[in-house]
Amino acid sequence: MLKIKRSLIIVVISFAVFLSGCSLPGLSGPAKNTIAVGTLATSESQIMGNIVKLMIEHYTDAQVEMVNNLGSSIVQHQAMVSGDVDITATRYTGTDLAGALGMEPINDPDKALEIVQREFQEQFDQTWFDSYGFDNSYAFTVTRELAERENLEKVSDLEPLVSNLKFGVDNSWLTREGDGYEGFVEEYGFRFSKEYPMQIGLVYQAAANGKMDVVLAYTTDGRIKAFDLKVLEDDRRFFPPYDTSLVARNDVLEQHDGLAEILDKLSGKIPTEKMQELNYEADGKMIEPSIVAKEFLEEHNYFEEE
Amino acid sequence: METINELIYYYSQNGGYVWEQFYRHFLMAAYGVLFAAIIGIPLGILIARYKKLSPWVLSLANIIQTIPALAMLAVLMLVMGLGTNTVVFALFLYSLLPIIKNTYTGINNVDQALLESGKAMGMTKFQVLRMVELPLAMAVIMAGLRTALVITIGIATIGTFMGSGGLGDIIIRGTNATDGTAIILAGAIPTALMAVIADLVMGWFERKLSPYKKRKTQIHTENAAA
Repeated sequence: MLKIKRSLIIVVISFAVFLSGCSLPGLSGPAKNTIAVGTLATSESQIMGNIVKLMIEHYTDAQVEMVNNLGSSIVQHQAMVSGDVDITATRYTGTDLAGALGMEPINDPDKALEIVQREFQEQFDQTWFDSYGFDNSYAFTVTRELAERENLEKVSDLEPLVSNLKFGVDNSWLTREGDGYEGFVEEYGFRFSKEYPMQIGLVYQAAANGKMDVVLAYTTDGRIKAFDLKVLEDDRRFFPPYDTSLVARNDVLEQHDGLAEILDKLSGKIPTEKMQELNYEADGKMIEPSIVAKEFLEEHNYFEEE
Repeated sequence: METINELIYYYSQNGGYVWEQFYRHFLMAAYGVLFAAIIGIPLGILIARYKKLSPWVLSLANIIQTIPALAMLAVLMLVMGLGTNTVVFALFLYSLLPIIKNTYTGINNVDQALLESGKAMGMTKFQVLRMVELPLAMAVIMAGLRTALVITIGIATIGTFMGSGGLGDIIIRGTNATDGTAIILAGAIPTALMAVIADLVMGWFERKLSPYKKRKTQIHTENAAA
């Protein structure tokens, strides 16, 4: 019996190995000429991922496979290192400085970018491209009504009101090292009377219909504009910059001629306001990221002039 | 009412995309069942021949079935990495039990007298299998494939966490959007619909292949001839 059991296990394992190596018609392309692009679960990440995908498909004959909904920046990083993913479409300088590199946060955007570019090249043999042009930072956000009533302009203005403010926040931020909640309390010297951890996608609605007084929002989110929310100035420069770039593995860049130049065309093309707009297309108007990406690139003619 | 309007609006905006994911989702489920059929049907026949093997194989398939889908995908991810193939392999594993079990039951339930008469007619073992056992067991085997396909269509939704795409992608996007109810439904409804359609189509095949119906039509034709 043991022999049979063993041979059964061997059959199953060899089948797994066979299957992981082959490509299924209709599902995945030939492994050699396929580039896997990884994205997070956010609309922003998926829009950028699809822009990268369409750019590659427009200029080369490589096939691109999307690997969506990776859980976090760390998961993205591990997928890149293990080779499951060749390009990650949205990497944020502040996040990866603290996460993948385990360094102290740096508040100067240019210096932060320079460091991640150098360190990723040396440590991981990956190229960190120049920023797309938008900065997806955290920002304390209130309704315009509350801002006008209490004359709020910057984050420090919140301090006298803090005892009766409800604060809605992404749960990962509360426990994050460095630029998380503890760091914030240290820098600004106050904490909110009660925090409500929630999905980041819910904070905008919560602020707009008065369920929360202050929320921690993303600066590129289109709903800030759509719901007429006010972003408070980070007067102590507590949050490090989150300039957004794509990161590619060097062996993939070498394997596909001219790929680096194609991807570099996207540098500096999408300012924060544009990203807000694109995000609103997806989050507010319910258009799928892949379609938003296609329309954006067609509008700009795939940046062919350069 | 508003949700329904939003849903219609969503489909009008993203129809092509939804169709693409629908197709992808179906392919994943279909590949899973196909591979499971390639392995499972011969295995089912084998354990019907050598009955001593059957408790081992069936309990192994049973154990696989009890592993929660998310845990299975997480473990497979460690071995096979991210991507569609990992999900297809998980679906393959989940399809094994219904296919093996139904094949085993189907072959076992063939009337002993028919096997004997086959043998008496001078059929080889393989001929008995091909001409007597398999045709008679076909409806039961198809029922196994039907169950497997419906199960895998459901489980393929979770594949989105392995980056495999499919309709689960739409559902997850809905949970991330502010007012995602319509988007969640936009992903969930086609998934349910696909399962129902798969069930109906496979059920039709099952009835077509049922030997008892065939016998009735034969009697009819005989009557007509008489």
